[in-house]
Amino acid sequence: MSDEIHRDDEILGKAYDARLMGRIVRYLRPYWKLLALAFAFLLLHTGSQLLGPYITKVAVDRYIANRDIHGLDVIVLLYLGNVFAGFIFLFVKTYATEYTGQRAMHDLRMEIFAHLQKQDMAYFDRNPVGRLMTRTINDVETLNELFSTGVVGLLGDLFIVFGIAGAMLWLDWKLGLICLAAFPVIIYISRFYRRRAREVYRESRLILAKLNADLQESIAGIGTIQAFGQEKKIYGRFQGINHGYRDVLLRSVRYNAMFFPIIEIFSALSIGLLLWYGGGLIVADAIQAGVLVAFIQYIQRMYQPLRDLAEKYNIMQAAMASSERIFTLLDTPATITNPVEPKTPDQSGGEVEFRDVWLSYRPGEPVLKGISFRVRPGEKVALVGATGGGKTSIISALCRFYEIDSGSILVDGVDVRHWNKQALRCHLGLVLQDVFLFSGDIAANLTLGDSRVDDQQMIEAARRAHIAPFIEKLPNGYKEEVQERGSTLSQGQRQLLSFARALAFNPKILILDEATSSVDTKTEMLIQDALQDLLKNRTALIIAHRLSTIKNADRIIVVHKGEIWEEGNHKELLGRGGLYARLYELQYSSEPSARRSANGATIQPS
Amino acid sequence: MARRGPRSRYQARLILVFWPQITKDTEILRYYYRIQFLVDRYRRFLILGILSLIATDLAGMALPWLIKEGIDAALHGSSTSTSLLKFPALILGAAALQGFFRYCWRINIHGFSRRSEADLRDRVFAHLQKLPLSYFQHTKTGDLMSRLTNDIQAVRELMGFGSLAIVDSLVVMVFSLTLMITIDPWLTLWAMLAMPLITVVVRFFARHIFRWSRATQEQLSVMSTFVQENLAGIRVVQAYAQEDNQVRGFKGISSDYRRKTMWLATLWGIFWPLMQVLSGIGAAIVLWLGGRQVLQGTMTLGEFVAFNGYLAMLTWPLMAVGYVVNQYQRGTSALSRLCEILDTKVAARFQSPEAPSELAPIRGAVEIRNLTFSYGDAPPALRNINLSISAGVVCGVVGETGCGKSTLVSLLLRLFEPPDGSVLIDGVDIKEMPLRKLQDAIGVVSQDIFLFSGTIRENILFGAENGTQQSLEDAARMAQILPAIEEFSAQFETIIGERGVRLSGGQKQRTALARALIKNPPILILDDAFSSVDVETEEEILKRLKKFMAGRTTLLISHRISTVRGADLIVYLRGGEVVEQGTHDQLIDLRGAYYRLYQRQRLVREVETLTHAEARP
Repeated sequence: MSDEIHRDDEILGKAYDARLMGRIVRYLRPYWKLLALAFAFLLLHTGSQLLGPYITKVAVDRYIANRDIHGLDVIVLLYLGNVFAGFIFLFVKTYATEYTGQRAMHDLRMEIFAHLQKQDMAYFDRNPVGRLMTRTINDVETLNELFSTGVVGLLGDLFIVFGIAGAMLWLDWKLGLICLAAFPVIIYISRFYRRRAREVYRESRLILAKLNADLQESIAGIGTIQAFGQEKKIYGRFQGINHGYRDVLLRSVRYNAMFFPIIEIFSALSIGLLLWYGGGLIVADAIQAGVLVAFIQYIQRMYQPLRDLAEKYNIMQAAMASSERIFTLLDTPATITNPVEPKTPDQSGGEVEFRDVWLSYRPGEPVLKGISFRVRPGEKVALVGATGGGKTSIISALCRFYEIDSGSILVDGVDVRHWNKQALRCHLGLVLQDVFLFSGDIAANLTLGDSRVDDQQMIEAARRAHIAPFIEKLPNGYKEEVQERGSTLSQGQRQLLSFARALAFNPKILILDEATSSVDTKTEMLIQDALQDLLKNRTALIIAHRLSTIKNADRIIVVHKGEIWEEGNHKELLGRGGLYARLYELQYSSEPSARRSANGATIQPS
Repeated sequence: MARRGPRSRYQARLILVFWPQITKDTEILRYYYRIQFLVDRYRRFLILGILSLIATDLAGMALPWLIKEGIDAALHGSSTSTSLLKFPALILGAAALQGFFRYCWRINIHGFSRRSEADLRDRVFAHLQKLPLSYFQHTKTGDLMSRLTNDIQAVRELMGFGSLAIVDSLVVMVFSLTLMITIDPWLTLWAMLAMPLITVVVRFFARHIFRWSRATQEQLSVMSTFVQENLAGIRVVQAYAQEDNQVRGFKGISSDYRRKTMWLATLWGIFWPLMQVLSGIGAAIVLWLGGRQVLQGTMTLGEFVAFNGYLAMLTWPLMAVGYVVNQYQRGTSALSRLCEILDTKVAARFQSPEAPSELAPIRGAVEIRNLTFSYGDAPPALRNINLSISAGVVCGVVGETGCGKSTLVSLLLRLFEPPDGSVLIDGVDIKEMPLRKLQDAIGVVSQDIFLFSGTIRENILFGAENGTQQSLEDAARMAQILPAIEEFSAQFETIIGERGVRLSGGQKQRTALARALIKNPPILILDDAFSSVDVETEEEILKRLKKFMAGRTTLLISHRISTVRGADLIVYLRGGEVVEQGTHDQLIDLRGAYYRLYQRQRLVREVETLTHAEARP
């Protein structure tokens, strides 16, 4: 899988792809007026670039040669005016293109992000976070460069090159042809260089990614490295990659060092030819000196765009690859969509029913095999079973994180596929006790930024979850920022926070995935107490790990290998001596006290 | 005396005023001294590069002059066909020379900076590897990454571009100006009027562009963090139907980013055209005043063209001066951050004696004497620990989170420095012991397992390079990961992905166990190693390990009494102190703290059943 990611991210294909370009252009359409403005100013700027040497020519031939001082003053003012106009043209062009590009990229980013929000869990199982982040952030950035430097830059360069060629041919076509004689050779050399530069560029990107990954791993794993005393080995590995990177870059240094001087020699060759041929023409009085002066300036300007041609080519190519990846992502439709006409239940008493539900994450490997059960309004049902037995899958199917293969799941009498997804999930409060904390303050983590929960409700929820005293002791109270990796909150406090979150949202049906990590005794008691409060007046389906939760449940469903093996309450199931009794034995046998209840009765495991 | 008084006071004040500057400068000198080795190592490249750079500039200087001669020769009609050919040929010759030298300086100076970059990165990395773990607790990974990439790049640019720009600017300015003055001193003066503005403008823009580009970078990382969190927590987002909220949040961040980028683009958008204007003003002045002189016959047309050429040549060096000041500031602060790493002392254990490896093999008796330890200024994490574990004994350590269990493990491994004579193995202070020997003696599976992104084989062989296929399979079998490995199509060559993402939690733990077992260590430490696999699996693993544990010293560390129950010796840690030790039965009979912990666990159960009973009637 990781190999695929690397390959996927590093494919560089064509620098221009009409199909992709067509789609990119679609994002520019809303800003076509600005774009048209940018284009107009690009043309104006090119014109002003071409005008400079021509003004010089006129100054030399018409005024200097004719000793017209007044005329010279005027033409100098014209020259200066052209310089300032060029400033304005270039600025407006740059600003308008950047603005358009940034707007379009913002729109694209929003589209990607919103698209991701709609995907189901199977999608996120297939696509690691890192890859999706690259799409949303880096690929869009690369594409943006296409606007700021790539396309417009290339167009500008083309205009300049063709404009100058045209101007030279117009001024004196024979002289012009002589000056352009070297151009085909240069284009050939550029193509050769471009190909090499592209290879090196691609290689350097690959190896840089490797370098960063290795660096990241070496720092994150430093504890293990030092514990095993493998510093030297890790250093050797890093050095290998680092030197590989250096060597690739040195190769690119070599290509650049060759290419630029060659371009300059050709530019000098053109000037040499100009002087030789043009000098002869002047001697023969066939042309005026000003033409020569203008031609020299034109030649110098003409070679300028060739220098960064390869870089622009790379940008184009990378942008095409990025857009391809982005569009592939956008073209993957969300598999779980909202129904066209969502149904709402007639009465929401809080009932859940599974009817012969089958679910598989990979074809042919079902994780749920015909699960059927019913949870009546107000009933508390505990799901028990070994890891990987299917408990979490039941909950995922219920919340419609995954689409089931067959059977049906009814919530308050309505099939989950007919519910609006968001409405369904608000109805089923899912509490994951291995809490995921977002950066931001505690309040934001409690309410998740939802405006439906006001401060009063939030504080009330925190109080009922027994987390309020702790929060109020923090220097900034509810406004305290949650630290990276959540060091502000202990494991137990996070669990309490998850209860507070659920209490704030006040769902009809509670789906609780109890934390496996243990906490100290005092916190444990707080959790127990808060849990009692949370369960009041609600239907609950609980993946239970705590013995107390299991015992307090109205019914226990034992799930094993994707099937329901046993059902009943704690006492009945123990008495039956089946799978539950065995699980119980394994889990709690080391602590004989657990078998004894307060009234002295001893539960006898068989 | 009376006259000297005020003056020395004045001097004293001067020193006071400039003292920060002086100390800062010596600091900076010290930083540069740290990278002196790069200059020493690649002196040849640097010298050759600078010499060819000067040669390139000189050849470049000749070009406008030759063009001038060529034009004037053509205009004055005194030319024969040979003299018509002479200047074009000379121009081509000069250009060829310029090209050759340009190639040389590029190869040498860029070669110098690229090689230095790699070597510097090597050195910082090597140093980083040996820093004490406490350093990594206070430093974010992202921060270190940025130092090893961005900061090193800034230093490289300073070394390459900086040295280049200074030499280049100096040579070009001196020679262009001299030649321009030779042509016409007054015109030079007038033409140069606007030119110094270039340096000022570049400096201004470079500063602001840098500031805004940093701001956009920061905003970009805010955006990345937001997306990363959103995707990592997508289950919560969807479970609470927060998709629209998240999209709204993202929109704010993305718009902010767009605005900041726009500022940056605007600065660039003004900067380049402004440069053209400033050099254009010079050209206009030359056209105006120089044109008059040509018109009056005091200057030839060739001189006029050459003058323009030299003026154009000056633009770049003047810009470079503006850049270099910024590059210098940026490079110096980057360098200071790198020196911060290089100045951090390596962990003391790397100075332990090198191994005369004929020492007797370690049997595995662990002794801890009066061990008190604290992290930095924090209150002691361990207090006055005394513990004696004979070779081959299974010792359980119990206690709640934060009681010092993991600290004890870190000290045994010397990942943190214990006080002298407080931790002994086979009666030898581990600080007197060759580090390699200590590391070979201990196999550890820790709480937070770190696996590397390579193959399963590489991961299991991590601490035992010379392990054979047989030992690999044996270790995997003992750790009960072999069946899982055999199910992978690539078997031991399966690539497990970053941090082992392709393995399940239990598979990761068992791989880590195999990694510890294959070292065949006389001392085995299982530090809450199986907390997240279910109890069934943990028991199974421990049962299978019994054979391996026989004859080895084993430390079983857990917060659950059930894990350590069967140990030969149990130590109960609380608040960094040994509260009690003995076998399970002894400790129960003692009716002390251990018993109370045991009782408390029972009490919790009873409370649970009480609420149950109360909820029922």
